[in-house]
Amino acid sequence: MRIAKPGPWAVTRRMWVGGAAAVLAAVTLGLHAPAAHAADKKTLVIGMDIGDGRTYDPARQADLSPPLTLGAVYEQLVTLSADDLSDVKPMLAESWTFNQVKGAWVFKLKPGVKFWSGDPLTAEDVKFSLDRLINLKDQPSADAANLQRVEVVDPLTVELYLKVSAPSNLIDLTGTVFSIYSKKMVEAQGGTSAADAKDKDKATAWLNTTSAGSGAYRMVSWERNAQVVLARNPHYHGGAVPFERVVIRHISDGAAQLLAVRRGDIDIAMNLNAEQLESLNGVKDVSILKTTSIDTLLMPMTSSATMNPALAKKQARQAVAAAIDYDGLIKGLVGGYSQRPPSFIPIGAGGVTEASAKAIGFKEDLPKARRLLQEAGLPNGFGFELIYPNTPYFSTTFQLIAQKIQSDVARVGIKIDLKPMDAVNWRTQFNGGKAQSVLAFWTATAPNPYIWASASVQRLAKRMYWEVPADVTDLVEQARAEPDTKKQQAMYLKYQQALIEQANYIMLLQPIYRVAVHKNVTGVELTANIWKLDMKKVRAVP
Amino acid sequence: MRYIFQRLLTMALTALAATVVIFLISAQVPGDPVVAQLGDLAASDPVIVKNFRERWRLDDPLPVRYWTFLTHLAKGDLGMSISTQRPVMDDVRQYAPATIELATYAFAISLLIGVPLGIAAGVWRDSWIDNLARMISLVGVSAPTFWLAFIALSLFYGGLQIAPGPGRLDVVSIPPESVTGLYTIDAALAGDWATWRDALAHLVLPSGVLAAATMGLITRTTRASMLDTLNQDYVRVARSKGLTEGRIVLRHALPNALLPIVTLAGIAYAILLTGAVMTETIFSWPGLGRYTFRSAVTLDVPAIMGITLIVAVVYLVINFLTDLSYLVLDPRATRR
Repeated sequence: MRIAKPGPWAVTRRMWVGGAAAVLAAVTLGLHAPAAHAADKKTLVIGMDIGDGRTYDPARQADLSPPLTLGAVYEQLVTLSADDLSDVKPMLAESWTFNQVKGAWVFKLKPGVKFWSGDPLTAEDVKFSLDRLINLKDQPSADAANLQRVEVVDPLTVELYLKVSAPSNLIDLTGTVFSIYSKKMVEAQGGTSAADAKDKDKATAWLNTTSAGSGAYRMVSWERNAQVVLARNPHYHGGAVPFERVVIRHISDGAAQLLAVRRGDIDIAMNLNAEQLESLNGVKDVSILKTTSIDTLLMPMTSSATMNPALAKKQARQAVAAAIDYDGLIKGLVGGYSQRPPSFIPIGAGGVTEASAKAIGFKEDLPKARRLLQEAGLPNGFGFELIYPNTPYFSTTFQLIAQKIQSDVARVGIKIDLKPMDAVNWRTQFNGGKAQSVLAFWTATAPNPYIWASASVQRLAKRMYWEVPADVTDLVEQARAEPDTKKQQAMYLKYQQALIEQANYIMLLQPIYRVAVHKNVTGVELTANIWKLDMKKVRAVP
Repeated sequence: MRYIFQRLLTMALTALAATVVIFLISAQVPGDPVVAQLGDLAASDPVIVKNFRERWRLDDPLPVRYWTFLTHLAKGDLGMSISTQRPVMDDVRQYAPATIELATYAFAISLLIGVPLGIAAGVWRDSWIDNLARMISLVGVSAPTFWLAFIALSLFYGGLQIAPGPGRLDVVSIPPESVTGLYTIDAALAGDWATWRDALAHLVLPSGVLAAATMGLITRTTRASMLDTLNQDYVRVARSKGLTEGRIVLRHALPNALLPIVTLAGIAYAILLTGAVMTETIFSWPGLGRYTFRSAVTLDVPAIMGITLIVAVVYLVINFLTDLSYLVLDPRATRR
């Protein structure tokens, strides 16, 4: 039996109409346009994926997004300007000298610097901060491995004793892990810098939501996976900054950031992909800023004959390097927004330039690749495995990059067996030296060329079973200790040539990062350095 | 009473069994939590790695690690999360309210729209309402959540500009003082109606998107159940007695048609509470979905265990409540 079509029975229909009206009312009530942030000139809003952040304690943090905040709320002894990654500039220290006899840096602190609490910053605070970094023995302590001890000479003079006397290490101190904070404030929260700090320090929970520094802003809250809020530091020695508040809003999805920056709800969108940025062409309210990063993407290959007898031959690895269409990779997959360093040190650090990259770096040369295969006794090519994480990378994916390389080298008869895997498994295999070849990204906490060079001849070489000749490791150590910049750069150049000849590491990309900026704000200065953006210079457009 | 006691005991055992399974699976994953948590430089420093392994007791044998989990659990402690370096309970306490609020609103939307629509579709079979209901359930069930979320955000936030953007509140709003962690309730308790409106406005899009799939399911099931019931003999009798259609549908057919809907609604609420990862990602919603995802990809075993236990308990409790509701809705069940 069929039930009648809508009939004249008022009760249910009235209920229906009533119900529909109630839902509609609820939705309309909800869907009101929020007060536009654009009108508020007192708050700077940055949209960014900050989901990776696990802590904001400078002595414990090792993730990618927190340095943006730490760079705004803390200061270090020395710094770098946004566009120059080699010439160290004063920050908390007004001058410094290197005492060869003691093997120590002697820093004279700027007088009159105060923490946001109003207390003066002295050499005691410097000692406390750096001792705590060393004694917490958490991740960033690895960056301070060369720091032996800190001694206070007088309230405005402090000495940093190094294990290996190497003046070039000054650049390490520009990283946010070397932030200086108030001894008084941190101790009041259970912090300690003593030798047993690893077990006794209790200040991290407090430092996760409140900063104790002297930067232009101070941190007032961190709601995990939601936002970080900064407020103006009333005692900042550089003069009051334009914004009362900065909100770093966690927006993990690039498409959502795009919508928000177009509307002016956020002033800066940090994580847009190439397509999303292209869609902003011709949008008059939003401009795009770019900066070359010091991050790199590389493809290490093993020297282990047990893992792959063919790859163990130098000429075979060189053949792979000569068979890759580098320009096609950069133009086709990342829209041209990338450079390519010659070897392990990125362009911008250690005197490496685009010109030097062109002069000594790998080039696509198929006849040469075929010749090298002949020399290696592999005229018909060979095969090897390439592992990579099944995640996005920059504005593309590791998968697409791997496929491009696979089709490039197939032209000379080399077969790559692609092995995508989850990120943890990938890291486990890579770090454990279980991979024939890898797609890996690399960066450093400060643009000191030694950080890259030492990694390439120590831990990375070990993973790839490259027995580094003594003259190459010696060269890296000599370059580290060389006080003369020109001579040092020449040494690093020689080291890079050795790496290129060896062909264990093929450098693929050095991304050019782009962010979208709404016309509400000006003065946005990006830097390849780890804190990404000099927040104190950003101001509202009147 | 004995029935209830037996059920509670079975529930506890099932939840523990779930943690054993997840524990064993986590132990078999070929990744190393050390490299997942430490940076490249730190993971190569033997001292830092040793400290890390000791601190998180990664070298203890498997049975010992599981026993530690159980003894902590007995004290109501889910252990420390390796990623966030906080007690898992603290993390759950922080993230759960956002998810509960989102899922509850989505559940309300699913029921408020799904059930009446399903009834109407069943009663007026093949009419325009029925076609509308079919279309809504088809789109709801088949459209991927991330696609719906993005379309909703682009249309109502980016295009028409009548909805607020991602997050639980506007940038300029300050969260209400936390009592329940549910912003709409906390703001109402504090009498802060501006924040209440803001929180509610921010809930409309994500809860609507999250509701889509379950609403589709509920509409379909309600319609099928109504059709089935309306074809029963007792309905024919009622009709032959000359009762109005309204009375037949609401008093005679609906109560009997409700049983499968209640079962489904229970499951739907559990799905909403535990399956909001995509919605939470696109709407930057700081809930348990994102936390679970991150714990899984970083091999944060204590957090994974805690979440597993919670998900198991959510499903078990909701199933239990659903079964109990049968006792009220279906007098036959008490006799069994």
